[in-house]
Amino acid sequence: MTAAFLNRVGRRLLGAVVFGAALGIWEAWARSEPSFLFPPVTAVLERAWQVWPTTDFLTSVAASLERLAAGYALGAGIGIAAGLLMGSLRAARRTLEPLVEFLRAVPPVAIVPAVIVVLGLGNGMRIAVIAFAVCFPVLVNTVEGVRAVAPETRDTAAMLHLGLAETIFRIYLPAALPSIVAGLRVALSIGVIMVVISEFVGASDGIGHYILFQQSQFNVPEMYGGILFLGLLGYVLNRLFLLVEDHLLSWHFRAAGEPTR
Amino acid sequence: MLSDVTFDVREGELLSVVGPSGCGKTTLLRLLCGLTPPSDGSVLFNGKAVMRPPREVALVFQDYSRSLFPWLSVIRNVMLPLRRAGLRRGEKIARAEAVLQEMGLHGVARKYPWELSGGMQQRVAIARALVSRPKILLLDEPFGSVDALTRTELQDVLLRVHGDFEERRVTIVHVTHDIDEAVYLSDRVLVLGSAPGRLVASIDVELERPRVQTATRSSPRFLAVRNEIHDVIASREREAGHLGV
Repeated sequence: MTAAFLNRVGRRLLGAVVFGAALGIWEAWARSEPSFLFPPVTAVLERAWQVWPTTDFLTSVAASLERLAAGYALGAGIGIAAGLLMGSLRAARRTLEPLVEFLRAVPPVAIVPAVIVVLGLGNGMRIAVIAFAVCFPVLVNTVEGVRAVAPETRDTAAMLHLGLAETIFRIYLPAALPSIVAGLRVALSIGVIMVVISEFVGASDGIGHYILFQQSQFNVPEMYGGILFLGLLGYVLNRLFLLVEDHLLSWHFRAAGEPTR
Repeated sequence: MLSDVTFDVREGELLSVVGPSGCGKTTLLRLLCGLTPPSDGSVLFNGKAVMRPPREVALVFQDYSRSLFPWLSVIRNVMLPLRRAGLRRGEKIARAEAVLQEMGLHGVARKYPWELSGGMQQRVAIARALVSRPKILLLDEPFGSVDALTRTELQDVLLRVHGDFEERRVTIVHVTHDIDEAVYLSDRVLVLGSAPGRLVASIDVELERPRVQTATRSSPRFLAVRNEIHDVIASREREAGHLGV
């Protein structure tokens, strides 16, 4: 066993200890001031253990995940496409930049009422709101990634007689991929936020709706359970994302001499 | 950047361009390969003006780490120029592998560029430039980023390419700041002066081929040519000094 290995195990362990300690503080605090509105974590987990496997809850989770997947795919797709275009063509950048900068400055939450007016209270509204929020970090990172492509790399593409489309897809897209992936990762957590927010308004399912509904019924442990579930979901999604990233960018990490995670 | 630079490149010639840094060597090369259109004057290739990179011209950059694509394996990098060659996939692979062999690269086809040493990466870059069988090969300080030993190795690789590559003769224009290297490799050396970049001298090397690192470099003719070039550059600098430039 090497020192590096022990070090890594040690760090993992420390992470778990800190996490456990936070739960311990919650538990002790809640027990020291018994209140119906602030249940101890054990009570929350006990309820979660009963509620999470029910069809009702899982249906809500599935509804949220579907919205996230649709909104994320749509937003990321638009972000990457527009970003590649704006990064590659100065004319496109000049034309679109003011609009993008303006829309980007609008907090995505603020457009919810407007989107409800246009699209109603259905899934379309929720997906649109998620896509809107996801789009900009991806777009900005894509533009930056393409603009950072080395002049030698651009010249090489020109000397290889690659057309615009080929230059974009064969050179700019892979060259900008590390930056794009960083944007996609940020966008993923933003996506989860927007799923919940979109489900706070007029939804009949989804985790956001579940949390708000349990709160309105004074089912406080269930409400906390929903929040915990979101934390867990975010964590798992991020881990999955890192797996995909390692696979997609292994050439990049290895070329840079970084050890893979 | 450049003014009053007129010269011909003869078919099959190995021409080197030397000069102090900032004299526009790289600009000249970019003009030759059509990456930068001239603001005045013209670059003619077989009588036709070069406004964009012609298909018969390939360029090797100094910085192989930026010209080779790290997301593609060596063989895929080398096959890139063949995408529109109208060849079957198998033929493209065979041709790319043949050029790699020619460059003295064995068993690296499936590796990635960043897994190779600097010298090997530059060989891959030269292989990629040659795979589409260009008539003219341009090199911009191609050995500037490798160590001295690798440098002499790569010089001889270039000489082999020039002398007999797939039974054709490639015209080579090579930009360097290393006068000895220019003399060792070339049929003719162009000397550029700075501020503004202009053609100062065109010197025929007239050393016999094949060239051999030790023998060629210690021959009287080699020393005479390299001293002549040094003198030309030094007198130019003196002149510039007198004029207060």
